[in-house]
Amino acid sequence: MDTNEILVLTVGAILVNNVVLSRILGICPFLGVSKRIETALGMSGAVIFVMTLASFVTALFNRFLVTQTFTINGTEVDLSFTRILLFIVVIAALVQIVEILLKKFSPSLYVSLGIYLPLITTNCAVLGAAELNADASRGLISSTVFGFSTGVGFGLALLLFASIRERLAIARIPKAMEGTAIALVTAGILAMAFMGFSGLVK
Amino acid sequence: MNSPIRTWRFHGGVHPADGKALSNSVPAQRAPLLERYTVAIQQNIGAPPKPVVQKGDTVKKGQLIAEPGGFVSAPVHAPTSGTVGDIVEVPGANGGAIPAIEIISDGKDEWGSGLDPIPNWKNTDREILKKRIADAGIVGMGGAAFPTHVKLSPPPEKVIDTLILNGAECEPYLTADHRLMLERTEAVLEGAAIAAKILRVDRVFLGIEENKPDAIAALNEKAGQYGVTVVPLHVRYPQGGEKQLIYALTGRSVATGGLPMDVGCVVQNVGSCAAIRDAVVEGHPLIERYTTVTGTPVANPGTWILRFGTTVEQALTFAGGVKARAAKVIMGGPMMGFAQTSLGVTVTKNSSGILLLQWKETAEYTSNPCIRCGRCVRACPMKLLPGPVSVMVESENYDEAEKNYVMDCMECGVCTFVCPAKRPLVQHFRRAKAEINAKRRAAKAKQA
Amino acid sequence: MLITILVSAGVVAAVGLILGALIGFTAKKFEVQTDPKIEAVQELLPGANCGGCGYAGCADFASAIVTKGADPSGCSACSDAMLAKIAEVTGKAAGKKEKMTAVVFCSGSFSRSARAADYNGILDCRSASIVAGGGGKACRFGCLGYGSCARACPFGAIEIRDGLAVVHPELCRACGKCVNVCPRKLIRLVPASAPIHVYCNSLEKPAKRRKFCKNPCLACKKCIRTDENHMQMQAGLVRVNYSNPPEASFVEQVKCPTGALQVEEIHRKIAALKPVEPAPKAAPAPKKEESK
Repeated sequence: MDTNEILVLTVGAILVNNVVLSRILGICPFLGVSKRIETALGMSGAVIFVMTLASFVTALFNRFLVTQTFTINGTEVDLSFTRILLFIVVIAALVQIVEILLKKFSPSLYVSLGIYLPLITTNCAVLGAAELNADASRGLISSTVFGFSTGVGFGLALLLFASIRERLAIARIPKAMEGTAIALVTAGILAMAFMGFSGLVK
Repeated sequence: MNSPIRTWRFHGGVHPADGKALSNSVPAQRAPLLERYTVAIQQNIGAPPKPVVQKGDTVKKGQLIAEPGGFVSAPVHAPTSGTVGDIVEVPGANGGAIPAIEIISDGKDEWGSGLDPIPNWKNTDREILKKRIADAGIVGMGGAAFPTHVKLSPPPEKVIDTLILNGAECEPYLTADHRLMLERTEAVLEGAAIAAKILRVDRVFLGIEENKPDAIAALNEKAGQYGVTVVPLHVRYPQGGEKQLIYALTGRSVATGGLPMDVGCVVQNVGSCAAIRDAVVEGHPLIERYTTVTGTPVANPGTWILRFGTTVEQALTFAGGVKARAAKVIMGGPMMGFAQTSLGVTVTKNSSGILLLQWKETAEYTSNPCIRCGRCVRACPMKLLPGPVSVMVESENYDEAEKNYVMDCMECGVCTFVCPAKRPLVQHFRRAKAEINAKRRAAKAKQA
Repeated sequence: MLITILVSAGVVAAVGLILGALIGFTAKKFEVQTDPKIEAVQELLPGANCGGCGYAGCADFASAIVTKGADPSGCSACSDAMLAKIAEVTGKAAGKKEKMTAVVFCSGSFSRSARAADYNGILDCRSASIVAGGGGKACRFGCLGYGSCARACPFGAIEIRDGLAVVHPELCRACGKCVNVCPRKLIRLVPASAPIHVYCNSLEKPAKRRKFCKNPCLACKKCIRTDENHMQMQAGLVRVNYSNPPEASFVEQVKCPTGALQVEEIHRKIAALKPVEPAPKAAPAPKKEESK
């Protein structure tokens, strides 16, 4: 795997196929934890960490369990249909462990992430990264790089959105558009802006 | 006009209609002696002075009636001879009521300050001169009323190489400093020389806006003898802002939260310089000042030498009364002055002017939404972002306003002047500064 | 086929088991002690995050109740039934709580007070109070009438009528936000059972008070002479003795010469305040506070 390939993978995951703004995955934390830049940064950090780890571990499972064909008693057993099942279990367990560690070592971050940390468990963005890796039959290293870049892409989108929402908080918004309404409009415009990156990487 | 030194152009600024023609050609007149003065006890920034006279005491003109309440404080002296009356409450120029000592004149107006003249100041110890300035109650007469002796005592680690005399008088309508420089030219220059001796500097600049050619000519004639360089500056408000003036004359910028002495400068108002000279050479404490009484509704606009404790009402009577209906009475100039709600406000050490405005000359409060035109950003001499910061203050987000340097705002009023949406920006910033200061005090009290 | 099912089920089960064991191990190793009571108490608190208890919000107060033994009755927005339930959770007897209410000690509406100037600026008490003359009313001690307190109230209990802030006692939950926000320090929390108050806060010279306002307290002390136990001087102001408040009929007995001593209901009537029905819930439509 050369640097060129890594660059293409990274730029593709961060900008062109941004996990939030063009794949529309992980919308829940995107809307929920974007009120302040500090919590957005914390959430981005957690997602990058979990995604990288999850991509690596699921790639391991994919390589050595899911894509393997076992022959038991002369019958060929193909486990590929258990892929989603296994990935979910692995990701859920990972998040649980991260949560326990966070609660121990950074209670303030734990409190500010609140409900959204357990939500990473069922976050489609994390599972999505793992699934995309498996679909593209990526190796261990490129899977991990892809997981990391997807996390960074998520962080970028979250940070941009949080910055805009901090400005929105002090702006005079028509009563009917306050809160989630204006946030969703903003997210839509942001997604359109990211369409400008299409074609950057083939 | 040719400048003797290189000058710099500060960022932003505006050119408001100056209205100085109303009063700048009228020689200053000494106000007649009043029967009663109410002298505000606190006329300085810093610790309030403590009264040292009792009701019924006889005082001489210039006698100490309130002693300083700390180092950053200035004493107050009797404006004339007579007897001490009650301690009364008078409306303060910043709102609220402030205590004042009543002096009933005996009509004799006899001096008795207890301060000996020091005509030979050139051979006098610096500390004695400094003490004299403190004893005479001299404060910054440009507006802030910061005790002058504190300014002249920079901590030893600060190297001061430039003394700047502020004769810019950029505030529209005001001509008090203009008349002072024209009529008491040598007093201003001699006071500057005394201040320069105390600070041990030999670089003394007098910054003056070009719209006072007669004063510049008068100053240039004598300036050489006193080692002062008169520097004509472009007419642009706020040229006389302390930090703007330092930048214009030296090219040095004072960092956020910093003081002029951080860049080796001390700035003195020309009125304070004349007061320094009177205190040292004549032994007269500060009991009166040049004050412009002006505005279109005033019958005879002009500059008056008013003793502290004169009320606005009396000052207006000296100026021939009011010939048209006034909508606003302002202590100070139209840009930075305070609108008053009572004519009982008294003249204090920093009252540079009393300005009356008619309805058509004032602006109605409207406060439309910010249209993000950026005029305030271009005009702000402190390079702040008045528009966005005002929006933060409106939503009571003071932390964000503090991050955007609202504390650097000097309330010059330029942003409000240029704002096409007529937003009351300065009032927002005053509010933010008050709230942030209250928060800081609370945090400090918590620590202690 | 069966083998495929069995093997895959076995594999998934094994993976689950291993990971489960791993989680169990970490959970044990890095355990953080938390009290389930805190969450239970927090559920019972109103969730308005008004800060009236002196803590950063309901969650903070809940943990203080459980861990530091703070008194739940410090929450003024809690009903008695809720307090009893909280006491059940913590196992401590609930402190006796006297219902308090905020009172704006001023009766100088625009039509009943003199004006010294036209105020031409930001319509907010705190902004008005920092400019000279602060707000235009001649009285330096009275209500400014620009509604900083009404905007600060999380329960909508303060209404501005004709330039005077008046409290709806049936909505007030005595959180004390208005007390802190008022630049004139006019608002105090007093027992809700007290039916009459002295609606004046002026420390001006008595002669001037009459010029500035129709109903000033002139500090003539007629009411104090009538009954010393019920009325008292507090820092230069005549006030009801709130530890022993008089009956409403006391007003007729005293015949206050200016009407500054007034029954709360009549004060509201003069201010033309319509009574409101308090919402049945513990915290009616609290403004959502973002925990910043």
